[in-house]
Amino acid sequence: MTHAIEAVGLTKWYGKRRGILDVDFEVEEGEVFGFLGPNGAGKTTTIRLLLGFLRPTAGRATVLGHDAWTDAPAAHVRISFVSSEPGYLGELTAREQLDYMARLRGLPLGAWRPAAERLELDPTVPIRKLSRGNRQKVGVVQAFMGREPLLVMDEPTSGLDPLMQREFLKLVAEVRAEGRTVFLSSHNLPEVERACDRVGIIREGRLVSVSTVGDLQASHWRSVNLVLAAAPPPGTFDLPNVRIVAADARDVHLMVRGDVNPLLRRLATIDVRDVSIATLEIEDVFLGYYEGPSGSASAEPSAGAVSGADREHVAITTGEAQR
Amino acid sequence: MMTALRLDLRRGRMLVLWIGLVSVLYAGIIVLFYPTILDNAAAFEDMMKVYPRELMAAFGIVGSLGNPGVFLNSYIFQFLWPLVAAIAGIFLATRVAVDADRGFLELPLSTRLPRLRYLTAAIASQVVAMAVLAAVTIAAIWAADLLIEPDFATERLVLAGGHAFAMGLAIAGPTTFLAVVLLDRGRAGGLAAGILIFMYLANIIAQLSPDLSWLANLSAFHYFDLKPLIDTGAYPVADSALYLAVAIGGWILALLAFRRRDLVA
Repeated sequence: MTHAIEAVGLTKWYGKRRGILDVDFEVEEGEVFGFLGPNGAGKTTTIRLLLGFLRPTAGRATVLGHDAWTDAPAAHVRISFVSSEPGYLGELTAREQLDYMARLRGLPLGAWRPAAERLELDPTVPIRKLSRGNRQKVGVVQAFMGREPLLVMDEPTSGLDPLMQREFLKLVAEVRAEGRTVFLSSHNLPEVERACDRVGIIREGRLVSVSTVGDLQASHWRSVNLVLAAAPPPGTFDLPNVRIVAADARDVHLMVRGDVNPLLRRLATIDVRDVSIATLEIEDVFLGYYEGPSGSASAEPSAGAVSGADREHVAITTGEAQR
Repeated sequence: MMTALRLDLRRGRMLVLWIGLVSVLYAGIIVLFYPTILDNAAAFEDMMKVYPRELMAAFGIVGSLGNPGVFLNSYIFQFLWPLVAAIAGIFLATRVAVDADRGFLELPLSTRLPRLRYLTAAIASQVVAMAVLAAVTIAAIWAADLLIEPDFATERLVLAGGHAFAMGLAIAGPTTFLAVVLLDRGRAGGLAAGILIFMYLANIIAQLSPDLSWLANLSAFHYFDLKPLIDTGAYPVADSALYLAVAIGGWILALLAFRRRDLVA
């Protein structure tokens, strides 16, 4: 397999301000590669380097066989790109903006219609009158309106409602099925887990990990909060991948790492009134990566990384859990 | 590139429309007053005597206002047009910085459109906009002139429009370079405006003080005296060539800088 994207020692300094440092990774043709990191980690800088908007301070990147800096226009012919906050012109309608991009990409006018219909985008409204979510839809439509072999997307779903996020994931799956490559930057861990084959994690400008989604899921912790009918029998939660964070009679807070099935089987044996399982926010995962000695990433995230950050809650009613 | 140019022209049309409208109204009304000034030339000259001759000279009022060259030069070419050219030139030339700041620049430049063609399209739209503004200003003078006596020489007005056009480009070219280097409309526009104000003052000071007459050579306004052209038909070829050289030089530097620079401010 050839590399759709290859970064070798890619480094960018903005004067004395850190951009990214010595980033190495490859994206294979036909895979969906997630690029995960909190705000300010260097995701957008990396993408700007890949697209030739920035000149590397050191290292190099090749995109579809072309040097990202010196041969950017040749690479752009085969790239579909959407930025995290596209600066669309407020005076244009979505249709005019998308037709403009279609012309520049050598696509027929109206190439955006199928994607716009799926995302329920009204193309007749001037962009300045669109909500943030609808503006983001314009970006997603723009990304999916062509047939370029590489899609580069920088946080394309921020601002989209959950239904549209789901539609976005379907579009990504279709692109993958067609054998096209996707480079998807995000700070949304569940989205990346659902959409991607492999994930690179960047923090403070350094790539701290590249792994498969399976490995990522197996390595990070979920927070489980239980309300029980009665105090659990001793040893109920004695499982190798489960830690008790707090237990106060009927209220129990656990951390579970990787496979949740053993814990769910134990829960089925006791009377559970309520349960919620929360996926850690990306910031919590990163805290795990940095819990080791200062400045060095530890080998794996730890349960101690749990914080009160916003979480995606997967609420399961007591009855469903017991079934 | 035509796609980018079409959008650039579309984006500039409201600016051109409003500045053009102001220019047409001002130039037209001023010209309609010419017969009144002509009929009362003696009274106007008496009034002007109140002011120091050097000060009048500094603002281009040399000779009788009843003279067509002095009249048009003083009221339109030395006053209206520098304002029109500066506002339009700065706004149009700094658009690339605005586009970088708002994130629009990444959209066209992520496609097959190379940087140089994008900026060339932007420069072409500046040229078109400046040509339209020069043309409507001259057209307004010509149209108002149809209603009055005596007539200005039409071909001289057209030539004056050509020189005014070149002067506008001389503002737009270097400002484009500043915008590309700084990628910040506020700083680029402020710097360009500051330089123009300095040049305007330098031209006035040079005429007020013989010891500082060399300052005039540094001023773009020194090369924008259209009185001889209106009165005798002598086109300021060297001055126009200088303006065009400055404009083209600014654009070439802008293209060179844009080709190699990071697209973030």
